[in-house]
Amino acid sequence: MAINVKVMHRPPPETTSYLRAALSGMALTFKHMVNPTKVTQQYPEEQTDLSPRWRGTHVMEQHADGRPKCVACGLCPTVCPANCIRLVGGEDDQGNRYPIVYEIDEFRCIFCGMCQEVCPVEAIHVGRHFENAEYTRDRFVYDLDRLMEQDHPSTLLWDPSDPRSE
Amino acid sequence: MSELVTLTIDGREVSVPKGTTILEAAKTIGTEVPHYCYHPGMSSPAMCRLCLVEVEGAPKPMPGCVTAVAEGQVVRTQSEEALGHRRGVLEFYLVNHPLDCPICDMSGECNLQDYVHAEGREHGRGREPKRVFGRDDFGGDVLFYGDRCVMCTRCVRFMSEVEQDHRLTVVERGNRSVIDTFFEEGLDGTHWHGNIVDICPVGALVSKDFLHKARAWDLTHTPSICASCSQGCNVSLHTRDNLVQRIKPRENLDVNGWWMCDHGRHDYEWMNQGDRLEAPLVRDGGTSRAVGWKDALRVLLDNAEAAGTAGVKAVASARSSNEDLAALAALVDTLGGGDIVYRSPRADEEIPLKGFPGLARRRDLSPNARGAELVGATRVGGDDATGGLESVASHRGIVLVLGDALADQPDTFGQDAALYVFMGTHDSPAARHADVVLPVATHAEAEGTFTNHQGRVQRFEPALHAPGMTRPAWLILGALVAERGGGSVARTAAEAFAALAGRVPAFSGMDYDAVGSRGAVINESVSLTGD
Repeated sequence: MAINVKVMHRPPPETTSYLRAALSGMALTFKHMVNPTKVTQQYPEEQTDLSPRWRGTHVMEQHADGRPKCVACGLCPTVCPANCIRLVGGEDDQGNRYPIVYEIDEFRCIFCGMCQEVCPVEAIHVGRHFENAEYTRDRFVYDLDRLMEQDHPSTLLWDPSDPRSE
Repeated sequence: MSELVTLTIDGREVSVPKGTTILEAAKTIGTEVPHYCYHPGMSSPAMCRLCLVEVEGAPKPMPGCVTAVAEGQVVRTQSEEALGHRRGVLEFYLVNHPLDCPICDMSGECNLQDYVHAEGREHGRGREPKRVFGRDDFGGDVLFYGDRCVMCTRCVRFMSEVEQDHRLTVVERGNRSVIDTFFEEGLDGTHWHGNIVDICPVGALVSKDFLHKARAWDLTHTPSICASCSQGCNVSLHTRDNLVQRIKPRENLDVNGWWMCDHGRHDYEWMNQGDRLEAPLVRDGGTSRAVGWKDALRVLLDNAEAAGTAGVKAVASARSSNEDLAALAALVDTLGGGDIVYRSPRADEEIPLKGFPGLARRRDLSPNARGAELVGATRVGGDDATGGLESVASHRGIVLVLGDALADQPDTFGQDAALYVFMGTHDSPAARHADVVLPVATHAEAEGTFTNHQGRVQRFEPALHAPGMTRPAWLILGALVAERGGGSVARTAAEAFAALAGRVPAFSGMDYDAVGSRGAVINESVSLTGD
């Protein structure tokens, strides 16, 4: 047994028309056709503005003479929650500690940015970059040379004018 | 027992023997007073001024490392005054310290790092440039980073008091003072200098061998026994990625104190060696076939059945554990009885550590020669551990080889044997005629005990994962004995030790748990001077 059935009172069909509704819809359409405000972004011809705190694939900073800034202290592999950094330290011919092997598996990386935060010499950074397509999977393990070649800007993990975020 | 003195440390009453220092008394209640220059194995110059504690009634803070306890004394190690003094001292240590922790090998196990983190100032106030010494090669295995040094002089005192070979000294004065060697002599030719790297509280003295190899916090420490000679020094194997990265001594005042020799310290590459035997092999006329354990043991027992009663000749190794050797002896008995021989290298002379009587690199370079003797094996061959196996090589009965690589033997070894079983870590040309080749674990991969030259039984624990199907020898041999002679299989090292204790009189009544981490001396009367 139906309870509280609401009976809709519709106007009789001969007194209504679809025309008014159709015209008001088309008016909106034509208004957008001539409206100069564009909503669609023409990617890839037009690039998106990324937030300064966007965390994408890594960048290794280097000294003026092309040596990596990394001193192989081992903090980033230690702090990395995804365990995606492999580091073997050694000593170069000038007696400086440097990474013989430094590899980041960007597939494993969760882009938390802790490697950048923990780095005592500001060598490894996450970057403002997201176009990482490759043809083979093994290209996603970035070695030291590849990390130093990256030319996209580094992420700002905090506002430099307000480092304590106050 | 000497007279006891009762005092109060941080509100807790402590009773310690008369003459104990405040620092040692505090240790007994679990309070560590920060210190650099004090080391229990050496004299205390009280020059680092870091162990300052507040003593009620004393006009000034007292250094805990040299102040003897007194009846009714009230000591505060954590009071505002004591902490303030230590905070001041720590600030002075950082005046010239380069704070290069990211590239320092000591980082993670550094006392300066720990103490400053616990008690130091949050921010430095120094504005003057720091003095810079750079790096110096001290010879041997030691590099010296002068900037990191806190001038505790532990290294100088170790060389003069313990090794008693004056190779290091302090030169210059005041701010410019620095540790140095005499002329170009360095530490070359000394046999115990690796210890100064251990006792350096900061990263001033580092090992060349370990330089930049691993971070301290990545290393897993496993208690073990040094296998480099029959002294049986207690050590820790520091491993990472299933590789031994370095060996450090472990404190045991009955054996090695806090020290170990450089030969033992650097004798670890063999534990990391690859190219291992990983599966049991059954050999038949030049072809080798990898089989499972069940099949391998079945083939072995069937062949032993067919071999008849020509007797057993076994070659053991003094690098095998007591449990391995006892299980081998049990198998020899089960297969009809025979002799066990072992070979062991001997050094030309003993290298004693003069400042710690009873510790030396012994002439006998195997860790368990004493255990092999107790189990009933006979030493053969020369001081270079070659030769002496002529009767085994041509034996017509059963030949068992455990742990001896037979490096000096021709590939005709054991060709006349009715059954030749080779148990080892690596394949050998002399194992060509072996009917069965079984992969066994090294002492770094298995649990067990060694008996040192004093007759002290000491346990070691597995630090590495054994490759492939490798098993400890006592497990394999115990399974064979149980299969052939009946009885239960020893599945743990404790059960294997119980089997040893039931078999060898010198071990009777001993218990694996009771041996513990410090070791226990075997039953028979032992001479404490060793060979």
